[in-house]
Amino acid sequence: MALPISKRKALAEWKLYLFVVPSLAMILTFSYFPAFSAVYHSFYDWRGGDSKEWVGAENFERAAMDSQLGYAFVVVFILIIANLFKMVPSIAMAVVIHRLKSEKWQYWYRVLLVVPMIVPGLVTLFIWKFFFDPNFGPLNAILDVTGLKAGLIWLDAHLLGWDVFAEGRPIPWLSSPHLIVPSMIIWGFPWIGAVGVLIFLAGLQSIGTDVYEAADLDGVTPFQKFLYIEFPLILTQVRLMLILMMIGTLQGFGLQLLLLGPEGGPSGAGMVPGLYMYNRAFSAGEFGYACAIGMILFVFILVLTFINNKYVRVQK
Amino acid sequence: MNGAAGIPTTVGSNKQDMPKHVFIWLVLAFELLPFYMMIQISMKTNREFNVNQWIPNAPWNWDVENYRYALELVLPYIANTVFVAVTGTVISLFLALMAAYFFARYRMPGGSILWSIFLVLMLMPGVANIVPLFMLIKGMGLMNTLWALILISVAGAQVFAIFVLRNFIEDLPKDLFEAAEMDGASHFQQMLNIVVPMCAPILGTLFILSFLGKWNDFLMPLIILRDPELFTLGVGLIYLDGEYNKDWGRVMASFFVASIPLFIIFLFTMKLFVKGLSAGAVKG
Repeated sequence: MALPISKRKALAEWKLYLFVVPSLAMILTFSYFPAFSAVYHSFYDWRGGDSKEWVGAENFERAAMDSQLGYAFVVVFILIIANLFKMVPSIAMAVVIHRLKSEKWQYWYRVLLVVPMIVPGLVTLFIWKFFFDPNFGPLNAILDVTGLKAGLIWLDAHLLGWDVFAEGRPIPWLSSPHLIVPSMIIWGFPWIGAVGVLIFLAGLQSIGTDVYEAADLDGVTPFQKFLYIEFPLILTQVRLMLILMMIGTLQGFGLQLLLLGPEGGPSGAGMVPGLYMYNRAFSAGEFGYACAIGMILFVFILVLTFINNKYVRVQK
Repeated sequence: MNGAAGIPTTVGSNKQDMPKHVFIWLVLAFELLPFYMMIQISMKTNREFNVNQWIPNAPWNWDVENYRYALELVLPYIANTVFVAVTGTVISLFLALMAAYFFARYRMPGGSILWSIFLVLMLMPGVANIVPLFMLIKGMGLMNTLWALILISVAGAQVFAIFVLRNFIEDLPKDLFEAAEMDGASHFQQMLNIVVPMCAPILGTLFILSFLGKWNDFLMPLIILRDPELFTLGVGLIYLDGEYNKDWGRVMASFFVASIPLFIIFLFTMKLFVKGLSAGAVKG
C-alpha cells in the first residue's frame, strides 16, 4: 500500500502531482474525449463535416428497425456460440500437456505453442485466407483428396439445398453467402489458443503428483480425473477466458473487415455489429449513426464486463 | 512440483505418455501447417506453385528472387512499424511509470479520485471510440502521420501498465526510498535509480506485450495512413493481399519477411515472452 501522508507534507510534495499529469492528459484527450464525443454525436445527424443537426433519438430508432444491424447481431451471436465450442481444444491441450510426466517436454510444448503467436496476426489471417482460396487453397485440395467433398455434395443435395457444393466446381468458401458464416466457424482449426492453453496450464499447476497417484490407486478413469480433479481447478480460468472471448467476439470485426471488406462480403452475409459501425462511418459517411451503433455495442459490452467483474474474480 | 527433488515418480512411466505425445504432435502439425505452407511456397515461382503446392522445392531450386522482391517491399514497412512500436512503447512505459510512482508512493489528496478516472477506462470497450478518435485526429491535423498512431497507442496502453506497475512499486521495501530521500534524491531520481532497476523484469514483460500489440495493429493505421511511404506492416500487408493477380511465392515471401523481426525477438526473450503472454491475457 502507498504510505499515508499528512496535509502539510502533501503540500510540500506538490511536485509529485506533475508525475501523473502527462498520463492523465493522454487519457483525457484520447480516451475520455472520444467517448463523450461518441455519446454526444449519437444524437446528431452528422456527416463528418462542421454542420450537424440534432435529431434526438432518431439514430437509435433507426438502429432498432435496421434489419442489417439485427442480422449482424445474429451473426455475432452464432460466432459466440461457435467460439464457445472452440475453447474445448485449448482445455484438452492444456490437460494433456499437464499430464505429461516429463517436465522438459511440458516446457518445449509450451514454447512450440507460442510459436504461432510470434507470426504477425495479419500474416496468419492472410495465410488462412489462402487456405480458403477456391482454386489454389489447400482446404479444397484436402476435401477433394480425402473424398469428404462427396459427403458435402450429398449433404447439399439432400439437406441444405444451398447449391454450393458440386462435382468439378471449386467450393467458393468466402464468396458464397451461404458459406461465409461456416467458413468463419472452421477458421483457425484446430482452434488452439496459445494464451488460453498457457492460462489453463497455470491453473493446473496447483495439482500435485500425489493427487494423481491417489486417483490412480483408486482406479479413476482419465475422464473422471478431468471431471473431478482438473476441471474444478481451472474453472476460474475457464470463466475468465469465456468472458474475454465473449467481449472480444462482440466488439471484434478485424477478421471480417480484412476477409470480406467493409460490406461484409456478398450480400453482407458476414456482417457483424462492429463492422456495420465501421461501414456506416467510413463507407457511407454517416458518422452520427455510426456513433449510435457504437453506443449500442458499448452497452452490450458494458453489461458483459459488469457480469465479468461481479462473478469472475481473477486470482492474483 | 514433480515428486521430491525431481525423482521420477513410480506411478506411470514415460512410456505411458506415448499416446499423449502423439496427440500433441498431431494438433501441433495442424497448428503449424500454415507456417509450413508459408515458408515452402515462398521459395517457389508461380509456375512451380501451380504444378505442386505441397511439397517443398529441392534446396538447389529455391527461388531467391521472391525474397529480393519481398525485402524491397517489406523493409520500409518494417522500419515504419519499428519506429511506431518502439517510440510508442518507450513513451507509454515512461509515462505509465511516472503515474504509477505517483499512485504508489503516497496516498496524496485526490489520489483515489484520479485512480478511479484511470480505472474506469478498463471497463470501456474501445470499439465505440474509433469513429470519434478518427475525427479527433483529423481535427488535430495529424491525419496521415505516424505520430497519430504513436499518440493513440500511448494513451491506450496507460491504464493496464499503470495498474501493473503500481502493484509492483508498492511492494518495494519502503526504506529504500527513505534512504534515498536522506541522500537528497528527488522523486524523479528515486524513480530512475530505485524503481527502474527493481522493476526491470516486469518492465520487460510490459515492453514485449506493448510491442506485440503495436506490431499487430492494423485498424488505426488503415484508417489514418494514406501515403504508401508511411505504411506500417499492417496496412502494407493488406494492400499486398488486395492485389488481384497474386504471385503467391512473392506474397508468402513478404509474409515471411514480416515475421522475422518478432522471431528474432522471440529467440532472445523466450521466457519473458511465455510469461508475458500469460500475464497479458489476465488483463481483461
